[in-house]
Amino acid sequence: MQQHATPRLFKRGPSAEIRLFVLVVLAMVLLVLDTQMRVLEPLRQAVAVVLYPFQRAVLLPRDAVVQVNDWLNAARLVRSENEALQRQRIELAQVSTHAAQMAAENAQLRRLLGVTDTVSQSAVVVEVLYEPPNAFNRRLVFNKGSASGIAPGMPVIDEGGVVGQIVRVTPMTSEAALLTDEQVSIPVQLLRNGLRLIAFGGNVPGKVEVRYFAADADIREGDTLITSGVGKLFPAGLPVARVERVDRDSASGFARAIAEPLSHPERYRHFLVLQISEDDAEPAEPQAVQAPVPGEEPAAAPPAAEPAPDPAPPMESPAVVPQPSR
Amino acid sequence: MSRSPLANLRPGREPAATPPVPRPKSVAPEHLTVPARPWFVWISLLVVWLLSLLPWRLWPSAPDLLLLVLAFWSVHEPRRVGMATAFGFGLLMDVHDAGILGEHALQYTLVAYGAIVLHRRLQHFDLWSQAMHMLPVFFLAQLLVRAMHSWLAGAWPGWQWAAGCALTAALWPLAGWLLQLPQRRPEDSESTAV
Repeated sequence: MQQHATPRLFKRGPSAEIRLFVLVVLAMVLLVLDTQMRVLEPLRQAVAVVLYPFQRAVLLPRDAVVQVNDWLNAARLVRSENEALQRQRIELAQVSTHAAQMAAENAQLRRLLGVTDTVSQSAVVVEVLYEPPNAFNRRLVFNKGSASGIAPGMPVIDEGGVVGQIVRVTPMTSEAALLTDEQVSIPVQLLRNGLRLIAFGGNVPGKVEVRYFAADADIREGDTLITSGVGKLFPAGLPVARVERVDRDSASGFARAIAEPLSHPERYRHFLVLQISEDDAEPAEPQAVQAPVPGEEPAAAPPAAEPAPDPAPPMESPAVVPQPSR
Repeated sequence: MSRSPLANLRPGREPAATPPVPRPKSVAPEHLTVPARPWFVWISLLVVWLLSLLPWRLWPSAPDLLLLVLAFWSVHEPRRVGMATAFGFGLLMDVHDAGILGEHALQYTLVAYGAIVLHRRLQHFDLWSQAMHMLPVFFLAQLLVRAMHSWLAGAWPGWQWAAGCALTAALWPLAGWLLQLPQRRPEDSESTAV
């Protein structure tokens, strides 16, 4: 510390304190700007583009190990997968005939009512690139971005149901907030009686929470929540979660339910991003990989078949517009 | 003829072998090391940065190797690696972690500043004492950033990161030994192995 008093023999640029001050102020400005506004997205995207080849290169050994492992276990994998698929096929055969019947009936009813709808959705298959280490939110980073037609707000699904929502894209990667992330809220309804609700992530780790419904609402343990399609961002009928617990608070008159997500973002590496644009439910640019939405659609049919007394939920149009910035 | 000056010197030097004020054991005699080669500094930073892109950092109290190496070079090569370098690497980590921009940048800058302020003092100590000096620097920088983050996000993430700070500091001697290997003078490396 005493050395600062001695005369400088060599030119060293501004002193350490000045440099510290400038950089700390810069960092603070970045922190506040990035939390409050979205003006820093171009900077982030530019850095992400530079970062991408390094991320891929570093993860190459892992991918190679996975591939070799897959190759070595190919026979066993194929056998077990075959069994599972056989079982699933038998289960789905029944559902699909039912669904086909319902679809035909539904189409006819829609024609009668004069309702037009575009059910065809394009989707992009994405693979998990890595999971960002962050204590505050549950995110996944995928290996495709805006170059593949992914945009913020698009829903992400796997074979179990809704996984989450895209919150941020760069040209080559995209970042999804999982159902359990505190920024995600999804309009849902009960499969059993069509009760419309909103599911939130965040408060309970690994679970979603359903809030803002009357304490006497007809919701039980074991009920399945599916997307209601309100807000048009999530297509109706995708499985979301299964209710585990209902806390009824007679003092406030409201209740809340804790539900376990039906999707498994921690298990597999491939997911499907549904290309639904944020402003309306029309499909986005059809330039990306056209993949059919897997068997969730049949599950959409049952709730319509059972028109239930529908207690009006306190919040009608939920805030499903994602908040891509933190 | 040649023996007489030595004979005169020996009795005079004998008491001076133990200094009047005993020197603490942690203060290492000054090692004469050659300055680190620039390419070695940058390659080591690049390697730990690439390592930091791997998923092992998902562990909540994982040590921050990139910060460790940045701090080490800020102590030993303050002209080459300083706060601007730390800031740049911090920004890269922010984008990779998909966190708030500026979070790692702030933390790394603060640690680099602490290292630069302490660097003259630290160069007289051995690696374990250097680690002891750096532990509060790591901790305070992280604490400030966590406090800032919880102010912006409205939630406190718990104290698991403190273990990460301790681990980072605990890895300092190992990292220092590894990073100083190429700078040892040939004759020096034979006499003192550690």
